[in-house]
Amino acid sequence: MIRYVESRLGLDSWGRRALRKVFPDHWSFLIGEIALFCFIILVATGTFLTLFYRPDAAVVTYEGPYEPLRGQEVSAAFDSVMRLSFEVRAGLVMRQIHHWAALVFVASTVVHMCRVFFTGAFRRPRELNWIVGFTMLMLALGLGFTGYSLPDDLLSGTGLRIGYSALISIPFAGPYIASLAFGGEFPTENVISRLFVLHVMLLPGLTIALLGAHLAILWRQKHTQYRGPGRSESNVVGKGLWPYQALLSLGVMALTAAVLALMGGLVQINPIWLYGPFDATTVSAPSQPDWYMGWLDGATRLFPPWEPTVFGVTIPSMFLPAVLLPGLFFTVVALWPFIERRLTNDAAEHHLLDSPRDEPGRTALGVAGLLFFTVLTLAGGNDLIALTLDIQVESMTRFFRLAMFVVPPVGGALAYRICRQLRDSREHPLGRGSGVVLRRTEQGGFEEVPRS
Amino acid sequence: MKAERVVRGCFALSLAASVGLSLVYLAGGSRAWEGVLLAAALGGIAVGFILWATRLIDAPDNVEERREQKPGEGLGLISEVLEQSVTGVSRRKVLAGLASGAAASLGAALAIPSLSLGPQPGRSLFRTLWVPGIPAVDSEGGRVRPEDVPLSGIITVFPQGSEGAGDSQAVLLRVAPDLLSLPEARASWAPQGCLAYSKICTHAGCPVGLYRAQARELLCPCHQSTFDVLTGAVPVSGPAVRPLPQLPLAVDEDGYLVANGDFSGPVGPSFWNVTQ
Amino acid sequence: MLLRSLLAAVVTTIALAAPSLAQQSGRELYERRCASCHGPDGAGREGLGPSLTGAGAAAADYQLRTGRMPLQNPQAQAVRKPSVFSEEETRLLVSFVASLGEGPPIPSVDPGAGDLSSGQSLFIANCAACHGAGGNGGAVGNNAAAPSLYASEPQTMAEAMVSGPGQMPVFGFSEQERSDIIAFISYLQTSEAPGGIDIGGTGPVPEGFVGWFFGLTGLVMVLVLLVGTGSSRAR
Repeated sequence: MIRYVESRLGLDSWGRRALRKVFPDHWSFLIGEIALFCFIILVATGTFLTLFYRPDAAVVTYEGPYEPLRGQEVSAAFDSVMRLSFEVRAGLVMRQIHHWAALVFVASTVVHMCRVFFTGAFRRPRELNWIVGFTMLMLALGLGFTGYSLPDDLLSGTGLRIGYSALISIPFAGPYIASLAFGGEFPTENVISRLFVLHVMLLPGLTIALLGAHLAILWRQKHTQYRGPGRSESNVVGKGLWPYQALLSLGVMALTAAVLALMGGLVQINPIWLYGPFDATTVSAPSQPDWYMGWLDGATRLFPPWEPTVFGVTIPSMFLPAVLLPGLFFTVVALWPFIERRLTNDAAEHHLLDSPRDEPGRTALGVAGLLFFTVLTLAGGNDLIALTLDIQVESMTRFFRLAMFVVPPVGGALAYRICRQLRDSREHPLGRGSGVVLRRTEQGGFEEVPRS
Repeated sequence: MKAERVVRGCFALSLAASVGLSLVYLAGGSRAWEGVLLAAALGGIAVGFILWATRLIDAPDNVEERREQKPGEGLGLISEVLEQSVTGVSRRKVLAGLASGAAASLGAALAIPSLSLGPQPGRSLFRTLWVPGIPAVDSEGGRVRPEDVPLSGIITVFPQGSEGAGDSQAVLLRVAPDLLSLPEARASWAPQGCLAYSKICTHAGCPVGLYRAQARELLCPCHQSTFDVLTGAVPVSGPAVRPLPQLPLAVDEDGYLVANGDFSGPVGPSFWNVTQ
Repeated sequence: MLLRSLLAAVVTTIALAAPSLAQQSGRELYERRCASCHGPDGAGREGLGPSLTGAGAAAADYQLRTGRMPLQNPQAQAVRKPSVFSEEETRLLVSFVASLGEGPPIPSVDPGAGDLSSGQSLFIANCAACHGAGGNGGAVGNNAAAPSLYASEPQTMAEAMVSGPGQMPVFGFSEQERSDIIAFISYLQTSEAPGGIDIGGTGPVPEGFVGWFFGLTGLVMVLVLLVGTGSSRAR
C-alpha cells in the first residue's frame, strides 16, 4: 500500500525531511496532544450523535421506555436524546464518552496553556500561536456550552436563561443582542436549532481551521525544548517524527480514547432523564453548569447586590461578573506575550524553555491567576459544598468572597518565594533534596551525617 | 526481550477485546461492557504503541539546526509581488482606498441582514400577559380561590389562557394578613393575605422556586438571592438588587383570584433602562 | 342478669373513657418527654419549641416517626434519626397533639395507585427546587437543608407534604397527586442509574471533579508511567 501511494505521489526531499523532523521528547509536551485527541474523539462520537439528534423545538409526546417521562410533552430535541440514550444500541455509551471527552478536552487545553505559560513558550516568535491557541480555548468553551444545551433539558435550559440574562445586561445594546441571538424574548423556539448550527458546523469549522494553523506554525517554527546537554537556542534536540513520535502519538491517542471509553461506559454523566425536559417555569437545585463555565457561575454568586445607575443607565448586577470581568481577564490572557514583553523589555527570540523557577515573577502571576479561577470555579458549587459540609450557604458565599481576594496574592507570593528558593538552591522540587541522616553512635546518642 | 513480549501481549489483548466488543454489541449491547471492552481494546493498542516507541525501537536523540530567522528576509519578495499588482495604475492610493472602502462597506451591508435574526425588543421586556381582570390559574388552567392556597403554601400561577408562559409566571403565596408589611401603595394588593410575585429572579432570570415557609422568604437556587415575602419580595441576601415585581390581586364576585393589572415593574433581570 | 348488665356497664364506661384514657397517658408521655421544650399543653416555649396548637396529627406523626423529635439542639435543624418511641407511644403522643387544636390529620397513602409520569412532573414543579431533581437534597439557606429523599417512607412523605415541617411549605395536593409523587420518589429510591456509577447525582460539580481527577490526572499519570519523566532515555 505504501508503494502504491509513493509511486503516485512521490517522496521528495520535503517528505524525507518531514519524516525525520525532530521533536523534543518530554511528557509535558504531550498534554497538547491529549487535547488534540480529545477533539478528534469529540468529532468522531459527535458525528454518531448527530445522526440521531433532532435540533427541533417542536413538541412531541415521549413514548419511550423511561417510565417517569412516558406520555409527557417534550421537545423533539429532548425526545431524540432520550431515544438515543435508551433505545439506540451503544447510544448511551457514545453520549457519555462524548460528554466526558468534552470535560477532559477543556481541562487538557487549560493544562497545556499552563505548560506553555509557565515555560515561557509564548515568547517571540510564538506570540501568534499563543493567540491562535487562546482563541481555540474560547471556541472550546463555546462548543461545550452549546453542546450541553442541545438536549433541551431543565438543567441546561436554566443555563441558557442565565446566558440570555447576561446578554441583556450589556448597556444599550443588551436587549437587542439578546433578541437577535435567541430570536426573541426568552424562551424561544429558535434557540435550539441555532445552537445546533453553532455546535456542529460553525464552531468546529473554526476550531479545525485554527488547529491547522496552530500545527502549521508549530511545524514551521519547530517545537521549543527544555535546557539540557547539547541543547541551544539554535537547535532542536529530540526524536524524529518517524518512527518514534508517530508511534508515541498513536499510543497517546489510543490511551486518551481508552480512558474516555472507560469513563463513558462506567460513570454516569448528564442524566437528562432525571432533569426532565426544559420548562421555563421550573428549576432544580443544585444548578451548576459544566466545570469550565463554573467560574462564571461563581463570579455571579459572589458579586454583591450592587446595581449602580450611571447617567440614567442602570448597570445590572450581572454585567460586571458575567461580562466585564471575563472580558478583561481574557483580554489580558490573550495579550500576555505582548504585556510580558513590555514588562521585561525582552524582545529576543526564545526557543529554549524556562523552568518555572527561572521566572519567579511570571510564575507567581500565573499561580495567582489560576488560584483566582479555581476559587471562582469552586464558588460556583457553594450550595453543594455547603450541603456536604453542613454549613450555611451564606457562610460559604462570604468565605469565597474573602478567598477570592486573599488566596491569589498569598498563593502568588508563596509561589514567588518557592521559585526563588529552588532557583538559588538548584534543587529539583521533587528530588530527594539535600538533608541529613541521623545515625546512632556507639555511646547511644545521635549524630547527623549529610546525605550523599 | 521482555518488553517485546509485553507489547505482543498488549496487541493480543486488544484484539480479543475488540472481538468481545463486537460480540457484546451483537448480543444486545451492554453499556458497561461496551465501555470496558472498548477501553481494553484501545488501551492495548495504546500501551503497545507507547512501549514500542519507548522500549523497542532504537531512537536516539537527533539534532536539527534551526534556520536562522532573519526578519525581513521575505519582505523583499513580498513587496516585489505587490508591486506587480499596481504597475499600470496611476493613482495607487486612491485605487487602494476605494477598493478597501468597497470591501468594507460590502461587508457591513452583508452583516445588516443579521438583524433578521430576531425582533426588536421594543417594550417587550417591560410587559407581560397579565392584564386587569384576568383570572389567575394554575398550570392546569384551574382557577384559584384564596382558600385553595394553604397558609405557608406556594402555587405557581399564570394569566388564564397562557399557562406555562415564561415571562408571566408568578408565585402565589398566602400568609396571615397581620404579618404583612407591604409598601403603602400596595396595601390592597394582597386580599386575605394572598400575595403574588413574579417567579423570575431579578438577578439572572431563574425561576424562584424555593419557598422557605417558616422564614417567609423566596430563595432562588441559582445564585441564592433571597427575597422577603412580607415586605414586597425585597432582596435580603444574595446578588439580586431589585425586588421581585408584585402582581396586584383582587377577588372577583365568584370568589376567585384575578389580577388587577400587570406587575409593579419589569420582570426578570435588570437591563440598561429597566427603571423607565 | 345483673352481672351481665354490670359487665356491659363497665365495658361501655371503659370504651367511652378509652380515648380520654389514651389522651391521659398521651398527656403523661407528653409532659415527661416533650413539655420541657414545647411547654405545658403544647403552648410552646420561647427559644425552645414552637406551640403545637393546630399542629395536627400529621405533623406529630411525621416528626416522631422519622425520629426528628425529640430534638437535642433547638437551634439546629431536625434531621432524620432512629425513632426513640415505640409504635404505641407514637400513637399516644400523636393523638394527644391532635387534640390540641384543628390541624391536618394523618393523610391516607396509596403509592400503588400513583402514576409515575404525573408524579415526575409534579415532583419537578414542586419539589425539585429544594430536594433536587434526583432527590438528593439541597441547601435552602440559613443553615436549613432539604434532606435527601432516599431514606423516606411513603407515609412520612405524605405527612411532610400536608404539614410542611421546618422550612418546607405546606402543599395542598389531592390524594392522587400525593400518591403520584410518592410513587415517583419510590421509583428514584429503587431504580438503578442507567448511565453507570451515579457519582452523587448532583450534577456537573461531581462530574467536573471526576473529569479532572480521574480523567485528566489519571490519564497523565498513566502516560508519565509509560513514557518516563526525563527528556532523554538511556539506551
